[in-house]
Amino acid sequence: MGRRRRRRRVDPADATRALPEAIAALSQTLPAGPSPETFRRAKFDRPEAAPALWRLLFRVLSPQLADGASASFSPEAQVRSVKLALRTQGYPRRALAQLPDDGSQGGRELLLALAWLLARGPLPERLLTQNRVQLGDEMPVCECEALASPGPPTPSVEADGCVDIRHLQWLMGKLRFRWRNLMASQQEQCALLGKIHSYTRGCHSDRSLGHLSVTETELLRDPEGGRQLLRRLERENARLQAALEWRRRELVFWWWMDTVLGACPPEASQPTFLPRIPTPGTGALEPLVQELQALQGELREAVEARRAAWEAGVGGRGPEWSAARTALREAVGQDLAALRQACERGGSCSLAQPHGPHRLVRTEAGAPGGPGLRAPEVIEALRSQEARLEVVLRQLQGQCRQELARLVGAPPGPVWILPPGR
Amino acid sequence: MDTTVTLLAGSSRRLVAELRDALDSCAERQRQLERSLRVSRRLLRAWEPAETLAPEPTPGPETNEEAPSAACIPSPQDLKELELLTQALEKAVRVRKGISNAGEGNKAPSLKSGSIATSPATRASAPPSTSHRAGSRASETKPPRGIRQTRVPTKDLPERRLLSVGDQACMGQGAGATKPKSGLRNEQIVLSAASQAPEAFTLKDKGILLQLPEAFRKAASRNSRPAGCSNHVAFWFVGCACVYPSLWAQLSSTQTSDSVDAATTAKTQFLQKMQTTSGWPGPRLSATEVEAEVRHLQTACLLLRLRMGEELTADPKDWMQEYRCLLTLEELQAIVGQCLHGLRELCTVVEQQLGPWPEGRFPRASLPCGGGADPIWSPQLLLYSSTQELQTLAALRLRVAMLHQQIHLEKVLMAELLPLVCKQEPLGPPWLALCRAVHSLLCEGGQRFLTILREDKPAD
Repeated sequence: MGRRRRRRRVDPADATRALPEAIAALSQTLPAGPSPETFRRAKFDRPEAAPALWRLLFRVLSPQLADGASASFSPEAQVRSVKLALRTQGYPRRALAQLPDDGSQGGRELLLALAWLLARGPLPERLLTQNRVQLGDEMPVCECEALASPGPPTPSVEADGCVDIRHLQWLMGKLRFRWRNLMASQQEQCALLGKIHSYTRGCHSDRSLGHLSVTETELLRDPEGGRQLLRRLERENARLQAALEWRRRELVFWWWMDTVLGACPPEASQPTFLPRIPTPGTGALEPLVQELQALQGELREAVEARRAAWEAGVGGRGPEWSAARTALREAVGQDLAALRQACERGGSCSLAQPHGPHRLVRTEAGAPGGPGLRAPEVIEALRSQEARLEVVLRQLQGQCRQELARLVGAPPGPVWILPPGR
Repeated sequence: MDTTVTLLAGSSRRLVAELRDALDSCAERQRQLERSLRVSRRLLRAWEPAETLAPEPTPGPETNEEAPSAACIPSPQDLKELELLTQALEKAVRVRKGISNAGEGNKAPSLKSGSIATSPATRASAPPSTSHRAGSRASETKPPRGIRQTRVPTKDLPERRLLSVGDQACMGQGAGATKPKSGLRNEQIVLSAASQAPEAFTLKDKGILLQLPEAFRKAASRNSRPAGCSNHVAFWFVGCACVYPSLWAQLSSTQTSDSVDAATTAKTQFLQKMQTTSGWPGPRLSATEVEAEVRHLQTACLLLRLRMGEELTADPKDWMQEYRCLLTLEELQAIVGQCLHGLRELCTVVEQQLGPWPEGRFPRASLPCGGGADPIWSPQLLLYSSTQELQTLAALRLRVAMLHQQIHLEKVLMAELLPLVCKQEPLGPPWLALCRAVHSLLCEGGQRFLTILREDKPAD
């Protein structure tokens, strides 16, 4: 309440210096960032600013493209791609969609779009993370990408007509085979990594790492590649430094963007027709609805069965019962609090386990080691996850078995001899 | 019965697409692994002498030893030629031996060097000693010069071979003045040819002698020095005054300060103003947000199912545990109800928007790991102590990924195939074939098949 806020009184002279510096930092941290002069021209909607800003937005909105790949897109294609991406993310202003496809106009509108992206999330940091230079041998300790099952996939061209169920069996077999191959390759890669790590023990200047990674060893084997790696690393360091600068200075940029927005003419209020963009319709949500309903049904059955058993049983009577019941209810509530939160709208499903790629470091067995995750812990966590997933899979398969048995019907139908080995 | 069982067009399209998707994601992982494997295998073989080992002005003594000898490995063709030459030389030596045995010792030096050069039997012991001498000789020279010398192409070799036979005498003596480098080179080439390049650099033998270049060390340390690395140690060994945390560590640390708060407020205000000044109310939820919500709910569904699985397989030992299990299941039921409610709301919102969704995948937003706000990468370590441990870890990761995929496919197959079994005419041969196939796919993961015994009516 009585905290004195240090107000940064920016006098005009400082502001005129601070803004170009802030923009320079921003432009250095973004890929293909234009000069501060371009930004200034864009505020006044000068046409020469537009192409550079289209290019910038294209690079920013499609970071998965390699540095040189964006050159293979024509300017029109880049413009269309930027428009689509912005609308998919929900960009509110119509004026952008109405800009011509040749990329010759729209500096101010593009500037607003860039500011909108910057305001919604840590854009420079996200771009840097996606394209960062990997110096070590990294392994993710979670399987978050596997968890996110993709949306309805694109249909393949061949599956136009009907398909024999044996084709499905064949595809499943092929999938199993590929997984086996993958496992074998992965084991080999781990063995090789182990060797490389142990052969280069003690080489690293950084004692907490102790040995070289494949990337580092490769740079010693191939100095030309090593020089390229060093250049990439130095460029990344420059961009990281610029991102930190930007964070320090960005306030003055937002004040300036306010004036840019003020300089725009107000938009007409009637909505004009806009081309359709792909949005997940209810068709895409239907499988999810079915899945949740199925889950609800299973839970209902289980709950009814257990409640009936409970009522019929002998436990839970007597005066001390109500106290115990309240205590149990609370305990269960706390137990499931994390899960409840994870399932709520906008909740995070992280479940407090470590995430992200970690750099592999080989230590001597029994050595205390420095900070970092220990492999045995991760193995434990993965084992328990594996066990839980197997339970779910067996459950689903069991359901199918019951359902099929029901459909086949009672005898005198054919006799089913189940395969051995279960 | 060889009746073909065909599926309806709609189902088959979806099923085939899902299976192909799974196959593609597997193939992508395999491709990435193959890339890494290529690099790793190459590192563990003998290194080709294409370039120097460490482009340093003042390298440590260890790297010098490698440079000339590594660069001296001749090409396979040259090796073959040299081998033939070696055999010819051996013969010549034997002849000479025969002559000189009868003669005096003035041939001895040439003999000695000749035998060193050509006797494969002593190859194990002789080359290291000579190479050490050679190595130490090389270490006196400046590495750039030495390297330049050894880059002289082996086209020179034909002349050198003939010369080397005659030069054997002075070479073995370690005559420094006359032609030390070329002589050194020839000796080593002949030696290496005769003994399959003993000086080739292998990681196994000489890995611990490697050293990273200074510029790289500085840049890497500035980029992402691992957390917790003692700054004093870093200062001492790295030799630079970087006592600040690395750039990535700085970027990923969440700082709260007045300027950061002010910036956040300014951003929120800007977004609001953008929304109000645009003439169009815009969609309540963008496509990206809908997609994110769908994935969030899918994840939630799996988590709930996992928890339900735990409860259903648990074995309650007393009435308290039993009641607790019951309460948990009821709570789960409530959560699922809420998820369904939220999903139905989402459906209505989406219906009001731009209409049906065309076939095809819309651009996927990258899912942040951990489901929370965009996490920024920060350097973290994973310590392992044996190859076995690493392999177990990697295998478990793949197994978890595979199980996720199998569960997803199982749900898809159930949704498409079970209705099919209901629709077909029961008890005919095609239906039985279908049942058998569906049972195998759904209940055994496509791995095993059941046998159906059917009692045929006697043919009367």
